[in-house]
Amino acid sequence: MGDKVIGIDLGTSTSAVAIVEDGIAKVIPNENGELIHSSVVSFLEDGSRLVGNEAKSRLLLDPENTVYSAKRLIGRKFFSSEVKKAQAICSYNILEGDNQDVRIEIRGKQYTLSEIGAFVLMEMKRIAESAVGEEIKKAVITVPAYFNDGQRQATKDAGTIAGLQVLRIINEPTAAALAYGFGKGLNQKIAIYDLGGGTFDISVLEIGDDIFEVISTAGDTFLGGDDFDDRFIDYLAEAFFKEHNIDLRTDKLALQKLKSAAELGKWDLSENLETSIEIPAIAETMAGEIELKANITRNYFNKLVYDLIQKTFKVCDEALQEASLTVDQLDSVILVGGPTKMSIIREAVESYFFKTPQTGINPEEVVALGAAIQGAALMEASSGSLLLDVTPMSLGIATAGGLMDKLISRNTPIPTEMSRIYTTTRDNQESVNIRIYQGEDSKYENNEPLGEVRLTGIRPARKGEAKVKVTFEINADGIVEVGAMDVDTGQAQRITLNISGGLSRDQIDELRDKYSDNGADVAARPE
Amino acid sequence: MALDERKKIEINSIARLLDELDYFQILKVPQNVSLEELKSAYFRESRNYHPDKFYNEAPDINKKVTAIFKRITEAYKILSDNETRAIYTEGINGAQRAKNLRYIHGVQGGPPKEDEGQTPLGRKYFQMGKIAFNNMDYKGAKINFQLALKMEPKNESFQKRLAEVEEVIRGKK
Repeated sequence: MGDKVIGIDLGTSTSAVAIVEDGIAKVIPNENGELIHSSVVSFLEDGSRLVGNEAKSRLLLDPENTVYSAKRLIGRKFFSSEVKKAQAICSYNILEGDNQDVRIEIRGKQYTLSEIGAFVLMEMKRIAESAVGEEIKKAVITVPAYFNDGQRQATKDAGTIAGLQVLRIINEPTAAALAYGFGKGLNQKIAIYDLGGGTFDISVLEIGDDIFEVISTAGDTFLGGDDFDDRFIDYLAEAFFKEHNIDLRTDKLALQKLKSAAELGKWDLSENLETSIEIPAIAETMAGEIELKANITRNYFNKLVYDLIQKTFKVCDEALQEASLTVDQLDSVILVGGPTKMSIIREAVESYFFKTPQTGINPEEVVALGAAIQGAALMEASSGSLLLDVTPMSLGIATAGGLMDKLISRNTPIPTEMSRIYTTTRDNQESVNIRIYQGEDSKYENNEPLGEVRLTGIRPARKGEAKVKVTFEINADGIVEVGAMDVDTGQAQRITLNISGGLSRDQIDELRDKYSDNGADVAARPE
Repeated sequence: MALDERKKIEINSIARLLDELDYFQILKVPQNVSLEELKSAYFRESRNYHPDKFYNEAPDINKKVTAIFKRITEAYKILSDNETRAIYTEGINGAQRAKNLRYIHGVQGGPPKEDEGQTPLGRKYFQMGKIAFNNMDYKGAKINFQLALKMEPKNESFQKRLAEVEEVIRGKK
C-alpha cells in the first residue's frame, strides 16, 4: 500500500519517469501526453517555477532565468574546466559557492545544482503521482556510468531534496541493458553506447538469463550531444562575425537563438543533405536590425563533429580492452540517448561495431524503463533479475612520493571492499591523513580528489612500526565509504566521505523541508 | 516476503565462518576450477547472496549478506586473474594459511614475515622489547618479551626472540 517505486532518468537535456504496473514497465506521460520532458527549469517573475517542455520554450523569452543542462555541472568543483566552459556559454549566471562548490544565481537567489536537479525530479514525481493517483515516495534514479563519487552523491541529494527515498542510484547503460533483456532469458554479450546531452558512456555486459553482469564500463563526462550543438553554434557565429564583425555569442538572447537553430538544424541534417538557417533580427547595428542567414551541408557538419565521434570510439576501445573482448564477440549493440538518433551517429556505430544497432528500443525511454524495473525488483527482493554492476574508476590513496596507490581497480563488481595496511613515515607520528582519489593516472594529482580521512591518536612509535589498516568500501550506489583502524591499538575511525563541496546532511534536510510545501511555488499548469 | 528460517540460519553461519573460509570454499569450487565454471559459480552464489535479494530484510541480515557478497566478488576477482590466483593458491596451501585467506595487496606474496603479534598488548610489548634490544638494554628486552609471551604463549616469534635475548645475557656473564 503506497509503496510504489518510480524509475527516473534524470538526463542532461531530457528526463523521463517510468513505473512497473502488472509486470510491465511503462513510461508515464504528463497531462499533455508527453513522455519525454526537457530538463529545463524556468524561474518566473512572480516567484514560481516551470519545469519541462514549457520551461524550454522560455529559453528564448527569458534566457537569463532559465536553467538548462544543469547535469553538466552537478557534483563538479567551481575551478573545473567544465564549469569554466559552461560559464562562457550558458545564458544563466554560474557562481562560486562555499567549498569551491558551484551555485546558480537567478533573480538574486542562489541555488545549488542539487536543488536544480530536485526541481526536475519533483516534476517527474508530480507526473507519476498524477497518473497513478497516489503519493509516490520511492525512486530509483540513474546517473552516467562514469559519474564519480561527488556527482553520484549530489544526484542522490537531489532526490532527497525532492522528497524521494532514493532506493538506488544505478548506471544508465546498465538500466538500458536491463530494459532490453529483462524477462527474455537471453545469453548474450552486449554493448550499450550511451550518448546523452552531456555525457558519453559505454558499458559491456554479459546477460545470463536473469543476471546482468557489467564486465567493463568507460566514459567521458565532458562529451555529449550539447558539444555537437556547440560546433554548429560556433560555425554560425564565426560566419556571422566574418561578415558583420559582431560575436553573437556574447549576447545571451542571440546565443539562445543560435542554440535553438543549431538544435533544429542538427536534426534536419539527419533527414536532409543540406539545411539552411534563418534567424531574423538577431543583432542590431546603427544601420538597423540584421538577420543571420547560413547554409550547411551534412558533409560539412560531419567534418565539424568528426573528432567528437572519434572520441567516443576511443572510449569504446578502452572498454573493450578492459573486457578483453573484440567487437565481433559482441552479440548486440544498443543505442541510448537522444543524440544517438542522429544519422551520423548511427552510421558510425554500425561501422565500428560491425553490426546494426538494435532497433525497437526508444533511446530516450529505455533508461527510465530500466530504472523502474530495478525499483520493482528491489521492492520484491526475492525474485526478478539481478544487476551486477561495477565501479567505473579506480580508487586509491595519495602517497608521499606523488604516486596513486590503487586499492580498488576500476570495473570491480560492487558492493566491494578492500583493505590495505599503511605505516607511518615519521617517528612518533600521531595522526595520518589519507587523501582519496578516483581515476586511472599513476600520479594522484592527475586524478579526481574525493576527500580526506583523518585518523588520530596513533600510538607513539618509530616510523614504520605503527600500522594503519584502511578499508575502502564502495556500496551498491557506487558511493565510497572509508574506514581506518590502527592495527595495534584497534582504534577505529569510520567516516563516510564528505567530499569538500558536497551538501551536509543538515543542509539537505533543510532544503527538502523548504520545498516540501511545494504547491505554492510551482506555476499553475495550463488547463 | 518473509525469509524462511533455514535461509536465515544458513546466512548466519556463513557470516560467522566467513573469515575461516578461503576463496575456493566461498565459491564452492575445487582449487583446479576452470575459468568458465568459476564464472558459473560466481553467478550462482551471487543469486544466493546479493544484497538486492535481501533489500527488504532486517538490517542485520542485510549487513551479513552484504559481507558475504563482498567476499564472493573479492574471491571471484582474485581467482579470475591468473597471477593473483597463483599467488593466492600458494598462500592458502602453505604453513601460513590462516593469515592468507584474504588477499591483501602489498602484504601477500612476500617472504614470510616475523609474527609481530596477534593481540594489541602482545604487539606492544614485542615492539618495546625490540626497541630495548636495539638499544642494548637486554634486561629490559627480556622483561618485555616475557610479557609479550604471557599475552600470546603460542607465538613462535616471541619465543624465538626471548630465547635470543636470554642467550645474549648468558653470553655476557
